[in-house]
Amino acid sequence: MADLLGVWVTVFFTLAIYTFLYKENPWFRIAESVYLGIATGYIITVDLKYLRDQWTGVWSSTGFMMTAFAFAILIGLLWYFRFSRKYFYLYRWPLAIIVGTGIGQAMQTIIFAQFLSQIGGQISLPLFVAGDPLTSFNNILIAIMVPCVLLYFWFTGGTHEFGAMKVIDKIARYTMMAGFGSAFGYTVLTRYALFIGRAQYLLGIPPNPPEAKMAFITIAIAFLATLIGYDVVKKQT
Amino acid sequence: MSETLRRVEIPIVITIFCTLLQIIPFYINIPPLEAASDTFRSWMILVATCSTFIGLMTLIMIHSKTIQKQSKGWYYSVLMIIFMLAILLTGLPIPEAGLGDTNPMFDFLFKNIYTPLGSTMYSIIAFFITSAAYRAFRARNIEASLVLLSGLLMVCKNAPIMTTMWPGFVTIGDWIFDVPNMSTMRAVIIGSALGAIALAVRTLLGMERGYLRGGGEE
Amino acid sequence: MSLLEKLHSIDRRWIYLLAWIAVLVPLANPLGLPVSIGRDSTSYYNYIEGIPDGSVIMVTFDYGISAMPELYPLTVATFHHLWSHNFKVIVVASWREGPMVMDIVLKEMKPAETYGKVYGEDWIELGWFAQQEVGMAALGKDISGTLPVDYIEKKPTTGFPIMQDVKTAEDIDLLVSFETGTPGLPEWVRQWGTPYGTPMIMGCIGVMVPEVAPYLQTGQLGALIPGLTASAEYEQILKHPGLATAGVDAISMSHLLVIVLVIIGNAAYFMSKSGGSS
Repeated sequence: MADLLGVWVTVFFTLAIYTFLYKENPWFRIAESVYLGIATGYIITVDLKYLRDQWTGVWSSTGFMMTAFAFAILIGLLWYFRFSRKYFYLYRWPLAIIVGTGIGQAMQTIIFAQFLSQIGGQISLPLFVAGDPLTSFNNILIAIMVPCVLLYFWFTGGTHEFGAMKVIDKIARYTMMAGFGSAFGYTVLTRYALFIGRAQYLLGIPPNPPEAKMAFITIAIAFLATLIGYDVVKKQT
Repeated sequence: MSETLRRVEIPIVITIFCTLLQIIPFYINIPPLEAASDTFRSWMILVATCSTFIGLMTLIMIHSKTIQKQSKGWYYSVLMIIFMLAILLTGLPIPEAGLGDTNPMFDFLFKNIYTPLGSTMYSIIAFFITSAAYRAFRARNIEASLVLLSGLLMVCKNAPIMTTMWPGFVTIGDWIFDVPNMSTMRAVIIGSALGAIALAVRTLLGMERGYLRGGGEE
Repeated sequence: MSLLEKLHSIDRRWIYLLAWIAVLVPLANPLGLPVSIGRDSTSYYNYIEGIPDGSVIMVTFDYGISAMPELYPLTVATFHHLWSHNFKVIVVASWREGPMVMDIVLKEMKPAETYGKVYGEDWIELGWFAQQEVGMAALGKDISGTLPVDYIEKKPTTGFPIMQDVKTAEDIDLLVSFETGTPGLPEWVRQWGTPYGTPMIMGCIGVMVPEVAPYLQTGQLGALIPGLTASAEYEQILKHPGLATAGVDAISMSHLLVIVLVIIGNAAYFMSKSGGSS
């Protein structure tokens, strides 16, 4: 019984979101409000579980670690001075800790991971591959395109007025446009894949529960009746 | 004393200290410093996790005003707060009291409400992208034509019906992925790495203060 | 109203309705269109096949509920592939909802009954680690310290046989990631790939695919499954059809719809331009 109720609730909220395609309406607003509330509450439960697991792990092992844990909670409480007009500056301290550690962590290897390795990958591309003219052609194109796109975003010293830079800018723009078109193609795939996943649930396609199909038809008719019916009545009055 | 604590130099110094505490041990082998850096990193994660209630407090502050004044749509705010408290209270990590991720109510709320809502929210964009492609995707000039052409070819590559009709779509799609797309993204990655390094240097010099703004709203 | 004007001013809800039809009809009545196997899915499959038995593989859920429709089929197919071999699998999540998605995977796949896998010996789930990139760094240095309690039995991580020889990222032979955004590949490359040289393969949503290309070219990423179509191909290779295969017809029809609409839109645009200029 609980499973059947769960299926109907799932279909209700799924279709409530899709009613937005008709127009903004109370069904959508209900689903939106519920989602906001549940998402916020869920995040807190996961974070609290994490803190509890950390305490039962290494942080309760010695007196020093317990003190450090308590100190972390105290510093963590400074976050909430964000809401105080008088003492709001205190919330910057834990924020500074987070920002500093995050920047330090990223800076450890960003030079190797994203900078040197990409330049190395670029330089190591052979411009001539024996017996494979297509790969050679592609590598020559890449060898031209990457520096052009990099130079396109170079704004120091008014370099874009030179004649050669106009050609470089053109190659860079064409390269980027082709690249962004590729991004569009994959975006279509993702968005439809997400919709197809929901549609598979609504149609009860295994391993989704088959009861969802009846719920889909019933709730869809109910929603359409209320939305279209409201429009008709509004037009008449 | 309050004036001293209010100074912006304090969080800037904290930021610089925390940044150097992560960078220096990575490049210079000083075992005690490395151990301190590791412990500090784990400790910092606890501090960050403590900020979890900010969202809850902000939402309650805003929506309680709406409910109090009975402004337009106040009943949606009531609904939001009810569901927020429901999942929060049932999901508290106290398995001894039957609460947590094994609680039936929490499981119901997560599986039958949060999961479909989360999945559906992003899937609705499929319709908007279709409508936008019909209305706005035009070959107005060479650049727009290039975007259109490579976009359509990539859509063809991702559609099995098209690749079955003509396998050449796969070859062309792979070429677009491997050559112009890869070139663009490589340049973006290198550029963003340079930008990140510049941002880090600015932060270490105390010149970057954007993250210190805000706060003080009651 | 001329045809051109009608095409220009069509209510967008008719387009939405076409999209619904393009997806629902092939799902309800499968067309059985063939799926040709591409290089990406083949490469991903061969990469896992090339891993020696007994290797330690870490699977990370870098996605949540929002990307489940696209990545869940790939997740199931990958676990089927991994559990069909003699690997040690450690499951973590950098997204909060990752463990809940894994719960759904477990309910469907039942590793103990289906594959004879023993929890704690053949595989283990350690749960979600906080703070994204900083958490990845902490995990790389000390896995059990960062995730001291396992997710399923709520017992100390170090007490399980599978974790006896696994302490840091250096003990992981392969990182398999399912991604939808940040944190994701760049962070893993910075915190695991570069310092520890941990090999990595991934499956991601289509939106992320373009930005992954340079990492694939340099070898920082070993193999990639780019989206639902490639997931369907992977299921075909494994002979384990699932939701991705079931959705392939709908992908074809929806993409065909987009192509037709773009062509019609541009034809109308050029017709109105030439009509206006003549």
